[in-house]
Amino acid sequence: MKKRHEQKLVLVSIIIFILLNVPIILLFDKADKVIGIPMIYAYIFMVWIASIAITFFVVKRYNE
Amino acid sequence: MTSMKKIIIADDEHKILMSLEYSFRKSGYEVFIARDGSEVMELLKTETPAAILLDIMMPNLDGYETLQQIRAEEQLKDCKIVIVSAKNNPADIQKAYDLGADAYVTKPYSIKKLLQQVDELIT
Amino acid sequence: MNSVGLFILVLLYLVLLFFIASVAEKSRKPFWVNNPYIYSLSIAVYCSAWTYYGSIGVAATRGLEYLTIYIGPIIIIPAWILINAKIIRISRVNKISSIADFISLRYGNSRSLGALITLICAAAIVPYIGLQIKAISDTFHLVSHTANSNNIFTDSATYVVALITVFSSYYGTKYVDASERRVGVIAAVAAESILKLVFFLVLGIYVTYGVFNGWDDLYAQASTFSDFAHKNSIGGLTGALNWCLMSLLSMSAIFLLPRQFHTTIVENRREKHLRTALWLVPLYLLLINIFVFPVAWGGNILFKGASVNAEMYSILIPQKFGQDVITVIVFLGGLSASVSMIIISSIALSIMMSNNLIIPYGILNRISESNVKDNTKLIVTVRKIGIALLIVCAYLFYKFYINENSLFSVGLMSFVIIAQLAPSFFAAIFWKRGSYWGAVSGLIAGVFMCYKMLILPEMSGANVSHSFFTIDYFDPMTNAFFWSLFVNTVIFAVVSIFGKGNYTERNYAEMYVDIDKYLKYQDSAFVWKGTAETEDIRRILIRFLGEEKTKQALHIFNQKYNITDEEDTADARLIKFSENLLAGRIGTASAKILIESVTKEDKISLPEVLGILEESKQNILLNKQLTEQSQKLKQLSAQLQHANASLLEKDKQKDEFLDAVAHELRTPITAIRAAGELLQDDEDMPEGIRSQFLYNIISESDRLNELINDILYLDKLEHTEQVLEIAQYNIKNTIKKVIQPIEHLVEKEEIKLDVRLNLTREFFYYDEKRMIQVINNLLANAIKFTKDRHGEILLSVCNPQENLELKIYNSGKQIPDDELEMIFEKFYQSRNQNLKKPLGSGLGLSISKKIIEAHHGYIYAKNILDGVQFTLSVPQNYDKYEKNNYSR
Repeated sequence: MKKRHEQKLVLVSIIIFILLNVPIILLFDKADKVIGIPMIYAYIFMVWIASIAITFFVVKRYNE
Repeated sequence: MTSMKKIIIADDEHKILMSLEYSFRKSGYEVFIARDGSEVMELLKTETPAAILLDIMMPNLDGYETLQQIRAEEQLKDCKIVIVSAKNNPADIQKAYDLGADAYVTKPYSIKKLLQQVDELIT
Repeated sequence: MNSVGLFILVLLYLVLLFFIASVAEKSRKPFWVNNPYIYSLSIAVYCSAWTYYGSIGVAATRGLEYLTIYIGPIIIIPAWILINAKIIRISRVNKISSIADFISLRYGNSRSLGALITLICAAAIVPYIGLQIKAISDTFHLVSHTANSNNIFTDSATYVVALITVFSSYYGTKYVDASERRVGVIAAVAAESILKLVFFLVLGIYVTYGVFNGWDDLYAQASTFSDFAHKNSIGGLTGALNWCLMSLLSMSAIFLLPRQFHTTIVENRREKHLRTALWLVPLYLLLINIFVFPVAWGGNILFKGASVNAEMYSILIPQKFGQDVITVIVFLGGLSASVSMIIISSIALSIMMSNNLIIPYGILNRISESNVKDNTKLIVTVRKIGIALLIVCAYLFYKFYINENSLFSVGLMSFVIIAQLAPSFFAAIFWKRGSYWGAVSGLIAGVFMCYKMLILPEMSGANVSHSFFTIDYFDPMTNAFFWSLFVNTVIFAVVSIFGKGNYTERNYAEMYVDIDKYLKYQDSAFVWKGTAETEDIRRILIRFLGEEKTKQALHIFNQKYNITDEEDTADARLIKFSENLLAGRIGTASAKILIESVTKEDKISLPEVLGILEESKQNILLNKQLTEQSQKLKQLSAQLQHANASLLEKDKQKDEFLDAVAHELRTPITAIRAAGELLQDDEDMPEGIRSQFLYNIISESDRLNELINDILYLDKLEHTEQVLEIAQYNIKNTIKKVIQPIEHLVEKEEIKLDVRLNLTREFFYYDEKRMIQVINNLLANAIKFTKDRHGEILLSVCNPQENLELKIYNSGKQIPDDELEMIFEKFYQSRNQNLKKPLGSGLGLSISKKIIEAHHGYIYAKNILDGVQFTLSVPQNYDKYEKNNYSR
């Protein structure tokens, strides 16, 4: 995989790190119900799923 | 006639011979001229001069060789030989004396002085 | 289900594992061997009993915190493409067999560091294994409705553990070499990962949709709890800080836990499998965590008021509803989780212990003396014992220490201890400056902090002492983590920067940090100053690899580098190659020691070698320059000597010339003086003689003048280029000009003078004045030398090719052959009778020759017929004359 695609993945890491930490995570720091689960869970899982999806696509697409 | 002093003058320069011959004759010498060493030896077969004036630079037999040959002759030992030469470095002078010359005169010379010298040598 | 039944189940389960393992082993099909999914699933060994039970306990009692264990990994896993790829490459090249190997190699292949790390890992993991055992034991008792007994032998858990120990020992030590993948074990672990996930999902679905009516129902009921909101939030800034630190903690754990390093790095078969892991592992972690919330809160709801261990909710809930199947399934799931953790961890730890503790410090000598089979057996035995010992220790630990404490806190403690490896680990691949002393001091400081802030309080059961180090808004665990790692990192950095690493370290630093560059140069990147005998190396290799393998390996090596098998001395590449081979068996530190024992002297690094080569190159260059210069000097000095000699020669010639000149000048002067003196003294000189003498004076003066002119002219001819005035003249006229004045002389001397012209043209290029001079000179000579013989003179002129040719023949005595050339010399005097001085100055022929040569012609004398012939030739190339058209 070319260097720049690798860097995309590193970027994903960095972004999730920021999203799942202060201060952003505090925005969602509530237990209010969102799709059946507390908002904080929903947020975390959303980010989680998104990162899996993006990683999956990057790997599949640029896999030589 | 031994009262007249005999002299052989050897030089390959004609003009010089002319001058020398004139002055020695004027001084009472019987002059025999030679243009090179071999002519000198030729003359010596018949004459016994009191002195010989020898130029070094002569064709055929040069002055030194002539000198050598003359000095090899026993009967000519009394003959006074004067070497006359344009060269004046000590080596040449020494060589002349080594070979038996009695005097060495460098060109250009004063004829008067030359006459004097020869006179002294003979007497 | 009763305990016996359960026990049998456990047995069956383990048999299943054995089965899967052996199938994978025997079949070498790519499915088993080259499978990125198996690889990725084996990484999921990260989820142990802690996940199964501990998470639920934390979720139910403390809230969101349990997620931090997974947040770290999911954040960093995409970046594995960079980080782990690097680590995998480094490890493959060096046949790294464990994390202790990895770190200790980097800091100078240090035996002591490897031992230290092994001890730290052991300290961290043994409790963790104890955790698993506790989980197995507790759940076993729970499911079989039996009680824990303090008697080891009546405690059924003991036997379970014994079974697991056997399995681990057997499969864990089957392969001694790090390069041989433990396909069977990994396959079994992957299978377990599937099982535990599936089983947990079953539980989750059951609880959410079976016990409750879906998410909304669960949420509705859970939210009635007073602490619901609190537990389901991070907890403001303080909470966020803890959250952050905890994610960092788990982030390091996913790298540093021995079982993780083992499955991710050591057991990696293909680098590209990593790409599958990038998305599969986070996906797995996501799936296994989906139902933690429901189960936890379900349990909270169902067991509200009861004092029940929330960690056991996953068993208790189905059990409560009599769902035996699900209960057992959950138990098996938990068992899977625990067993896989125990197997991999014990294998990893035993490798570390044998390679970094036992072999280097203990039985190394015994090893090198025995043969291959014995050696392998010895290593295997050591490892087997190691595994067993570890598990036993863990068991004892569980029995006596963690019975009261929660899974969670023990697990976290384990994480914090293992996190002490972080500074040296990450610096190993990113920071070249990191040094051995930095790593050791950092580690010791960090571990010390851990001891003080974690272990001591845990052991004594007291509250964490409020010391200087307590940061109020940190949890005790976070506090300990922060401070230990802070101290560790700072000391590591400071000691590394202020210390001077040795070259061995620097080599490895180069290799680690610039692994990609290093891979290009592979075997030849290290150069040894020393030498080793091939035979010695072979002997060592045979001891560990066996005759056959050694021969194979060496043969491949020799082929690769085109070396004959008879080569006596092992070169640097062979040494490195052998070290690598051995490292796969006994670890890098021991391999290094063994190889070093047969080689003399130390390694020097490629940069150092390049430095030496550069210096040598410069020296050689300098030498070359110096040699060149000295040659030039020699040449110059030779030239100078030559010039000097030639100058001396010329000087001598000049002296001789001056001598000759003086002599020549004196002759006419003598005549003049003599005549003058006589004229002066003799008054009565006869008129005829008087005029004769006067004439003599004048003619000799002229002669003198001519001589002086000739001398000067000759000098000019010799030293200047352009002395001629070339123009076109009629040769006939020129000859007439020459002959006319001497006609009467010729008559007087009765010489027959013949002039023959054989010309195709009349005009030629020459300097007339000078040409007259030459012809005059030659004719004068001719006259002189025929005068005595009444001879004849023949002057013939022709123009063959591009030249004007003149021949003057005179009959008479001939010139001796050896003097034919010398007559053209200045003042040449000949002994020969016929060669009297010419009328002129004695320089005549010399001048004539120079004049003709200035015309680019030539002149020579030849004896022919009855006399001598002088020939001169003047070229008529128009362009030459054009060039020579001089200024007037």
